[in-house]
Amino acid sequence: MEFVDVSYRYKGEQEDALLGFSLKLLPGCAMALLGSNGSGKSTVLGLGAGWLHASSGKVECAGPVAFLPQTERLAFSFTCLEYVSFGRAPHLPYLAVPSSADRDKARTALVEVGMGTKSNRRITALSGGELQLVRIARALAQEAAYVLLDEPSDMLDPAHVATIGQAIRRLADSGAGVLFSTHDLAFALACADETAMMRSGRLGAVGPAAATLTCEALGELYGTPFGLRSLPVPLHGIVAGPPARPRI
Amino acid sequence: MTRLQPRKPFDGVRGRIALAALALTLAALAALLFGRYPTPGFMDPRSLSNDPLAFRVVLLVRLPRVIGALLLGAALGASGAALQFVFANPLVDAGFLGVSQGASFGAALTLLLGGGSLVLFGAAFGFAILALLMSIGMASRIRFGGAVLRLLLSGMAVSSFFSALVALLKYGADPLKSLPEITYWLMGGLSGTSWKTLSVAAPIALLSIIALVSLRWRTALLSLDEATAASLGARPRLERAVILGVAAAGVAAVTAMAGVVAWVGLIVPHLARLALGGDGSPTVPGSAILGALFVVVCDALSRGLFSGELPLGVTTSLIGTVAFFALLVGRRVNVERG
Repeated sequence: MEFVDVSYRYKGEQEDALLGFSLKLLPGCAMALLGSNGSGKSTVLGLGAGWLHASSGKVECAGPVAFLPQTERLAFSFTCLEYVSFGRAPHLPYLAVPSSADRDKARTALVEVGMGTKSNRRITALSGGELQLVRIARALAQEAAYVLLDEPSDMLDPAHVATIGQAIRRLADSGAGVLFSTHDLAFALACADETAMMRSGRLGAVGPAAATLTCEALGELYGTPFGLRSLPVPLHGIVAGPPARPRI
Repeated sequence: MTRLQPRKPFDGVRGRIALAALALTLAALAALLFGRYPTPGFMDPRSLSNDPLAFRVVLLVRLPRVIGALLLGAALGASGAALQFVFANPLVDAGFLGVSQGASFGAALTLLLGGGSLVLFGAAFGFAILALLMSIGMASRIRFGGAVLRLLLSGMAVSSFFSALVALLKYGADPLKSLPEITYWLMGGLSGTSWKTLSVAAPIALLSIIALVSLRWRTALLSLDEATAASLGARPRLERAVILGVAAAGVAAVTAMAGVVAWVGLIVPHLARLALGGDGSPTVPGSAILGALFVVVCDALSRGLFSGELPLGVTTSLIGTVAFFALLVGRRVNVERG
């Protein structure tokens, strides 16, 4: 998937949400998209999913794309299995309903995210974390070449964040190109191969996650000082806040 | 290593749909024998061969009526279920698109100006489709909100517009002749159903029902977020328009035949979800079957219970609301926490 000099402006807006954006996402790579609120991350994902159309430039994509928006309305209480089976839609003829083979793929996808025992549970009865896992299972069942996720770890407890990180890793390791936006730096560091930083609709530094996530780069990205602080296990990582005084 | 769940729910839904279909068949047969000839109540099936008049009553009066009731209920139920998916809102039926009110206006106009049953059908059907097109046309010109919100808003406006026109016609109607006719038609009923009106309405209604049942899974898919549906290969705008058109054509046909029968399209899908134990795409065929069952029973009661015929719309609303309330209250747990 490649973004070539893409600009995008929302209807009725004065300014471009995205300006001269170029980025290449390779198969088998998980890339985290970082940036403050309103920096254009969701716009990038929408364009990649084909949901938005570039005002100028182009988005090239070699293969089908699965897209998970940040939130989804749930008007009806489908069972997890029914919901994940919707992921099979691109593989079905127009008037077909999922076959037992499709449902088996949906079940397998649920097992892969650790929700195998809950396939008959209603999606409206799930916790936020479980719902996110089921949505990722739907993307797995879709068997797309590229998977785009808008803030997949948003508002989840650490255990669910870890499970979702593993699911993203598994997707990438199985050869899919994964692009996800996040504000969770530890999450990005844990499961992304690469990070791309965005500021005001423009692309900043792109590179291997461990090398890109420096205090200087993050400070510039979010406009607040970052520092390294030693914390009790398991809170090791990069945390926002003023630089800590050296410990004695 | 991958232990899969047993496949109970899918088989269960099929079983329940088959059960509902069986109940529907029995109810339709019973409805043919139910009425006020030769005596109020059920007729002895043997009299069909002994009594030529009984045979004629069943063939020429009750059979078209029962078929009309089947189609009416099935079309309203299936379209209600489909529209609820398309609008991602379980409180919607074809009335929200102005279809019923458009049909009412066409019928009232014919009753006021005069015209045969086919003219009335044509006018009611034509104005119902016009109302739908107005709703969709207005929605596409609204410059804010999502597609669903815009359709609901414009549908409500179109609906109110035609209600006002109907009120205007009623105001100007002859209080001794056309006003009671219009009022009676608006309450809905199958008393005017003959093989002639059925031959026009049935093919449209039947095609609509078959199409909605065939499209059920794609329709359920549209209840997901628009961006999600699009990434699953759907074309939400086009598919939504197709389903709206198909559903509205069926509702327009049966409404033109039988008048405004309220409540069925809104409530039957909820009954279907309760009966099938799920919210998935089987809701559409389930609603078609349960809608048909419900209307067949209500129509039989409307014509057979009292010496004068009750308007069908009144019976469906009375029985429907009471039954629905009983179901809601009787169901101890309504959110399944598995």
